[in-house]
Amino acid sequence: MTPVLAIENLHLGFKGYTGYTEVLHGISLSINPAERVALVGESGSGKSVTARIILGLLQEVRGATIRGELRFLQHDLNSIGTKHWRDLRGTRMSMIFQDPTSALNPVFTVGVQFIEVLRRGSAPLSEAAALSRASALLQSVSINDPERVLQAYPFQLSGGMNQRVMIAMALANNPALLIADEPGTALDVTVQAQTLDLMNQLVASHNTAMLFISHNLGVVREFADRIYVIYRGRIVEQGPTAAVFNDPGHPYTRALMAAVPRITGGGIADIPDTSDEFLQPCVNHGSAL
Amino acid sequence: MKRTLIILLRNPLSLLGVLLVLMVIVLAVFADFIAPFPDHKGAVVDFVYFNQAPSDRNLMGTDLVGRDLFSRIIYAYRISLMLGVVVLVISVPIGVLAGLFAGYRGGKTEFVLMRLTDVFLSIPPLVLAIAMMGVLEPTLLNAMLAVTAMWWPWYARLVYNVARSEREEGYVLAAEVIGASQWHICFREILPNCLPAVITKMTLDMGFVIIIASSLSFLGLGVQPPTPDLGSMVAEGARYLPDSWWLTVFPGLAILVAVFGFNLIGDALREILGAEQ
Repeated sequence: MTPVLAIENLHLGFKGYTGYTEVLHGISLSINPAERVALVGESGSGKSVTARIILGLLQEVRGATIRGELRFLQHDLNSIGTKHWRDLRGTRMSMIFQDPTSALNPVFTVGVQFIEVLRRGSAPLSEAAALSRASALLQSVSINDPERVLQAYPFQLSGGMNQRVMIAMALANNPALLIADEPGTALDVTVQAQTLDLMNQLVASHNTAMLFISHNLGVVREFADRIYVIYRGRIVEQGPTAAVFNDPGHPYTRALMAAVPRITGGGIADIPDTSDEFLQPCVNHGSAL
Repeated sequence: MKRTLIILLRNPLSLLGVLLVLMVIVLAVFADFIAPFPDHKGAVVDFVYFNQAPSDRNLMGTDLVGRDLFSRIIYAYRISLMLGVVVLVISVPIGVLAGLFAGYRGGKTEFVLMRLTDVFLSIPPLVLAIAMMGVLEPTLLNAMLAVTAMWWPWYARLVYNVARSEREEGYVLAAEVIGASQWHICFREILPNCLPAVITKMTLDMGFVIIIASSLSFLGLGVQPPTPDLGSMVAEGARYLPDSWWLTVFPGLAILVAVFGFNLIGDALREILGAEQ
């Protein structure tokens, strides 16, 4: 089976005034069709830049140097050129953001923005056809009054509503890969649970592969088939979710798990900022498949 | 839009502004029907009634060659408004485009466009206009050119600042993620978010353009006689103060009313549109 996304030995560095700083030190990961993969790590570990590299957004930044193999479906992303890459975005790969409200343009109604997304995907679509498709998609994310939502401006809707709109938009063109960058971190816990649940169902029904970027281990455990733990630009542990959670092999993974606050109390574990232990080589639990 | 209008009309101050501006516009547009002496806009001499104080025949008195001041002020409004509209219609798109590209593209584009803007901004506007008018012939067209040349940089800077902060917003990233072109992001995502600021500034600027244009013709550099202009009317009458006070006071009041009206609306818009953001 060819993976949807395969990254091999990805390096990222920035040239600054103080010289060259390497941020990612050779990351490898792969995602199979319809698989939900989580990338877990603390802030600054390189989760979000990885997502941006996959989407081809960081390549345009001056001073960023990127090395490594990137394969998406049958495309070699390093050789397809910006134009082609842009055509893939929004059609074959798409993304959901942390803060859904700011990801929608405040001066246009949801309907107008939805139509734009739909027109990117398929052949020319009349406005009426696009609107009826949009409201069907909104219904599939449990929005009961899609007509009202389509006429509303993003700031008139709640964060949870906007997140559902974003999910519906992201899946509107049936992408092969959906990247979710800490979806719902800006939402409260109950809404977050609802939207995650929704996303889970939709990803399954659309047969979409998913890269789930998070620092929330609880969410990841419920949600992902496979986990990559990233620390300081290196993958330190990878494997099927159950295997990683039952038998965390790497000291950093163990520290990360100890840091999760428990509802039963018991204090928050003390994690050192850095430790030589954390730089041990990657622990590989093998593939789930 | 409808909401903005309702708020605008509910506040007594901005309502006053709307009424004043409407009055000025109606006077200017229907000058031919409202003016008691329509032919007095040109070179007419009537020494029977020269330098008359306000009376039943001449509501605001007559000037030194016997022309009805009220009629001339109405026609002067026409020139002032036209000048304001033309200047803004030319300078706003230039400034908005320059600011938008500089703010969105950054890098070299930003450097070139914004430093050019700074050059223009570093010269006091009136001085630049006087210099331009000194080189060119003092006509209405050149007055418009001069005022336009000093007006666009302000829009460039305003839009640059807004665009700069908007391009970091989540929806711009979201648009990039779904593969939107740079053209689309610039004009369909960022520009609409700059418009409230631009519209507010345009309303305020209508008043300022009228003042600047009047100042130029006050100095004899703008509209030339016999075409009526508020600034040159004030300048002419100033020599006969305080005896022939109507020569200066009424054109001066006319400037005040127009500028005051536009500023009231502008201030109200700033609050309404600012609160929405």
